Amino acid sequence: MFQIILTYFLWNSVFADTNTEVFGYNREKILTYVFGIIIIRALVFSARSVDIPGEIADGKLSNYLIRPINYFKYWLTRDLSSKALNLAFSISEFIILAIILKPPLFFQSNLLYILLFLIILLLANYLIFVIRMIVSFVTFWMPELAWGAQFIFMMIITEFLSGAVFPLDIFPDTWQKTINLTPFPYLVFFPLQVYLGQITIVESMQGIMVALFWSLILSIIMKKIWLSGLKIYSSEGR
Amino acid sequence: MNIKKFKYYLRIWWHLNVKNILPVFNHNPTIIVFLIGKIIRFTFFGGFIYFLLKGTNTLAGYSLNQTLFFFLTFNLIDIIGQFLFREVYRFRPQIISGTFDFILTKPMSPLFRVLLGGADATDLITIPPLVILVWYIGNLLNPSGLAIFYYVILVLNGLVISAAFHILVLAMGIITLEIDHTVMIYRDLVGLGRFPIDIYKEPLRSLITFIVPIGLMISIPAKAFMGLINPIGVISSVLFGMALFMLSLQFWKYALKKYTSASS
Repeated sequence: MFQIILTYFLWNSVFADTNTEVFGYNREKILTYVFGIIIIRALVFSARSVDIPGEIADGKLSNYLIRPINYFKYWLTRDLSSKALNLAFSISEFIILAIILKPPLFFQSNLLYILLFLIILLLANYLIFVIRMIVSFVTFWMPELAWGAQFIFMMIITEFLSGAVFPLDIFPDTWQKTINLTPFPYLVFFPLQVYLGQITIVESMQGIMVALFWSLILSIIMKKIWLSGLKIYSSEGR
Repeated sequence: MNIKKFKYYLRIWWHLNVKNILPVFNHNPTIIVFLIGKIIRFTFFGGFIYFLLKGTNTLAGYSLNQTLFFFLTFNLIDIIGQFLFREVYRFRPQIISGTFDFILTKPMSPLFRVLLGGADATDLITIPPLVILVWYIGNLLNPSGLAIFYYVILVLNGLVISAAFHILVLAMGIITLEIDHTVMIYRDLVGLGRFPIDIYKEPLRSLITFIVPIGLMISIPAKAFMGLINPIGVISSVLFGMALFMLSLQFWKYALKKYTSASS
C-alpha cells in the first residue's frame, strides 16, 4: 500500500496544476493509472506458482510427477485461486485509498475498449504464468538459484518493464519501441493503456496480436525447457 | 562507553562480519544474483527519476540533480542500514527456537549481537560506488562547507534513527514473536523517503516527519545539503534522533524482561 501512496503523491505533485499534461497524461488519467495498478498487480502478479523453484530444488516435484494430473493446469488453477483471493483484497485497498485520497478517476465508457481491456487482461495472466514457469525451470539446472532467478526476473525486471512501478511512456520513443517488442509491457502497461484509451483501437488490436504471439512462443519454450529439465531432474533430497 | 569497551565490540564486530564476507561470496552464487538485482532496481529507479524530471523539469520545486540527490541519500542511509542491521531479519527463528538463550549467556550485549552481528555482504559492494555517486551529484549542487558538515551529521543521525527503528522491531519481536511483517512495514515506510517529503500532503507529511520520522531520517539531510535547513533545524533533528534511540533502548530493556525462553 505504501508503494501506491508514494506513486500517487509523486504523480499528484507532478500534476499539482490541474491543467498540466505530461507524457500524454492529464491528472485524471495518470491517477487512474496509479489506482489501476492496484487491481492489475493483484490480478496479474499474485500466484502460488512462486513455490515451484523451491519444490524442484528440494525434490517435492516428484510428488506431482506420480499423480494423474497435468502439472501446468494444476498450477494455473492454483494461480487463479490466488488471483481471486488477492483481487478481493485489492478491491478493498482500492476503495479505502479512494475514500482517503479522493482521486479524480477516469471511467472508460467505450464498450469496445472495455472488451479489448478484458481480452488483454486474460492474455496478461497467461503470459505471466508462462514467464514465471520458464524462470522457475532454471532451477533444474541451478537449484542454488531457485529464489535468485525469481528475484531478478519476477520481482525486478518484470515489475519495472511491465509498467507496474511507473508508466513506460516516460522513456524516450526508441526505448519504448524496444520494450514494446518484449512480452513485459503487455502485463500491466498495455492493459492500462487500452483501458484509458491512450492508444487507438487499431493499436490495441496490434498489441493484442503481439501478446498472442509471445504467449505462443513462450508456451513452446516453456514446454521444451520442462521436458529438458525433467531429463536431468534427479529428485535430490527425496 | 569507554575506549576499551569500544575496541572490544569493534573486534567482535570484525570477527562476526568482515571475516565472514569473503567466504560467503566464494560459496554462494545467490548473493551475486541478489547484488545484480539490487543494481538493476537502483538503475531503474534512477532512470525513472532522470526521465521524469527531463519531462517535468521540477518535482515539488526541486531540480533534476536535487531530486537525484534525495534519491541517493535515501539509498545511502537505507543500504548502510541494511548492511549494518541485517541480523535483525534473522532474529525470529532465534526467539521461536529459544537459541536466543545462547546469546544471552555470552559476555557481550545481546542487543549488539542481534542488531549488528550479521552484516549483509552484498551491501559492502554497493556502498562505495553509492558514496561516489552521492559525492558526484552533490558536487553539482555546489554546497558550502557548512552544508556538507550538516549533511554528514544528519546522515549519521539518519543511521541512528534507522538503528532505533531496528531495535524497536527486535523488541516487538520478543514480545509478539513477529519480526518479518514489522520489518516489511518499516521497509515500505522508509521507501516513502525515495522522493522529497514535500510531495506528500498534510497530514501525511507531518506524520512521516515527526511520528514515523522518515523525513528526519532521509529528507532533512538532503535538504541541509542544499542549504534549506537552519542550524536550529539541524540541532532539533539530532536531538530527536537521540531521543528516539534512547526510547528504543528503554523499550528493548523492557522487552528483554518479557523474554520467557519458552521454546528452549
